[in-house]
Amino acid sequence: MSKTRLWVRALSATALSLAAVSAQAQTTVSAPPAGRLLASNCFQCHGYNGRSSKGFEILAGESASEIYNELREMRQKTGSDVGIMEAHSHGYTDAQLKLIATYLSKQTP
Amino acid sequence: MNRRDFFRFTGFGASAALLSRLADAATGQLGFVPTNTGIKGRVVVIGGGMAGATVAKYLRLWGGSGVTVTLVERDAAYTSNILSNLVLNGQRTLTSLQFGYSTLASRYGIKVVRGEAKAIDHVGHKVLLADGTSLPYDRLVVAPGIEFNVIPGLETAAAQAKVPHAWKAGAQTTTLKNQIAAMPSGGTFVMTIPAKPYRCPPGPYERACVVADWLKRYRPGSKVIVLDANSGILAEPENFSHAFDVIHQGVIDYHPGVTINSINASTMTLNTSMGALRANVINAIPSQRAGSILTASGLANAPGQWADVNVLTYQSTVAPGVHIIGDSSATTQPKAGHIANQEAKICADAIVRLLAGLSPDPAPVTNSACYSPITSQTASWLSSRFAYDPATAKMALVAGGLVEAPSISKDNYEEMFKWFNTLMEDSFA
Ligand SMILES: Cc1cc2nc3c(=O)[nH]c(=O)nc-3n(C[C@H](O)[C@H](O)[C@H](O)COP(=O)(O)OP(=O)(O)OC[C@H]3O[C@@H](n4cnc5c(N)ncnc54)[C@H](O)[C@@H]3O)c2cc1C
Ligand code: HEC
Repeated sequence: MSKTRLWVRALSATALSLAAVSAQAQTTVSAPPAGRLLASNCFQCHGYNGRSSKGFEILAGESASEIYNELREMRQKTGSDVGIMEAHSHGYTDAQLKLIATYLSKQTP
Repeated sequence: MNRRDFFRFTGFGASAALLSRLADAATGQLGFVPTNTGIKGRVVVIGGGMAGATVAKYLRLWGGSGVTVTLVERDAAYTSNILSNLVLNGQRTLTSLQFGYSTLASRYGIKVVRGEAKAIDHVGHKVLLADGTSLPYDRLVVAPGIEFNVIPGLETAAAQAKVPHAWKAGAQTTTLKNQIAAMPSGGTFVMTIPAKPYRCPPGPYERACVVADWLKRYRPGSKVIVLDANSGILAEPENFSHAFDVIHQGVIDYHPGVTINSINASTMTLNTSMGALRANVINAIPSQRAGSILTASGLANAPGQWADVNVLTYQSTVAPGVHIIGDSSATTQPKAGHIANQEAKICADAIVRLLAGLSPDPAPVTNSACYSPITSQTASWLSSRFAYDPATAKMALVAGGLVEAPSISKDNYEEMFKWFNTLMEDSFA
């Protein structure tokens, strides 16, 4: 995450808290957002909805194409370039990666 | 977080940790419970470990305030097994591995009940606690971890205290640490590994490495003898073979395919399929089964007394409305904390959908990750992914889905703590 993003996050903390209290959208029973359950496979390392405070890179709010392309690139790596993230990128279909990337891109960082 | 919680938080003394937690909660970083999903139901969760804490949290986050969640846990705080091998070499304290339940209660409105679940009435949809309380439910989640089978010779409490397994972090971890510290130079440490499936496949190999690393420096000339009931190293075979044969060469003595007939705690002797052995310290890890609440309720219906489940919902195959997650369930996935957290999310999502009259997700994916310390400064890791296979109705390892670290490194060791902190935050905060 960039320094600016960190700074903005710290600044907007209090303002957002008020939004969090009041912004409870009107919904009726509907299917959960597409990609949410798949993307929850990322939360153990990247935090809830990709907004980690103590883990690896923040994913929330990155563009869907950025996340999608990064994951596809990581899937190509082999040998000593394979970190745990490259390893993790194996096993999702392109369609699943798109759903995950779209879901994460819609979360507020 | 609701308005009342927000003010309750701000009323606390302002420690740095608390302020940062307040900021986290205020940004909604950790999420808040929506009030108007239109979904309603009463869910009781038995066991607040890796699986139970996570399912309770995600039922509220995804189900909303109409889904009431009562979490029944016997202990005041959870002690993490993950990283507990680092208590043995003095790099972590047990206290640093403890996680309380107050955040789950205050941030997500989970009702935490300290108590022992004694019986499940899955026909009458109630849980009975040891103190006589009866908790009615629409959906029940059971996540009690494991129970240990008894190794012949170790039937008494005194024998078990002398030959600890330390496979559930707590008092036995401290006992084992003290026993290792009391070893003479040139001493013998014997560890026994049960046949699979057992909790945390790489865990015993990791422990052998951590203990060998410590003994090498502080009790020179000592040996770590590993007696494995399995026919070979079950997890991270490349890295553990390298660790045994090169890094800890001459200290770790690994024997696959060895069964334990009995252990005599007074003479500190093991009677095994490769003969009798004496040791200064015996760390005998027994075979395991589902938590006793499940065996007592007739829900441990799979071979080895594990609980058979449908992996789209984690519903028991014998008791509708009862979901079983974590180590107690019989699935193709490893019995591990990271994947218990993911099973919990699949279960929470399925329960929320079922309460809303929808069908469960037909194509769930899970992932496991495990960092294994090899020395006091280096670690390896293991990563795997499973996807639902409609042909077998099981979670199947995906192609290329099982990977171990290309090497044992210091970077991995540093990364391990980031992973641990986020995983525990995702489960308990
Ligand atoms: C040494 C060691 C190292 C490990 N390292 C890793 C690792 O690196 N990565 C990894 O992913 N996993 C690791 N694990 C495995 C991991 O700890 C377990 O797989 C995980 O804890 C399973 O979660 P669970 O929720 O099923 O059980 P637990 O976490 O054991 O939780 C069960 C909870 O239920 C409570 N309970 C049980 N019965 C009742 C009852 N009747 N009433 C009330 N409460 C009850 C218990 O008190 C406990 O809090 C390790 C394990 C060990 C022993
Ligand atoms: C086991 C832990 C783990 C899990 C689970 C995990 N990641 Fe990662 N992720 C990492 C690590 C570690 C890095 C840093 C890699 C590096 O710097 O080499 C990373 C980096 C990334 C990056 C690049 C970061 C950036 O913004 O430049 C993306 C994108 C990413 N992860 C996406 C995901 C997605 C999507 C998921 C879920 C499908 C996921 N990760 C699950 C550990 C994990």
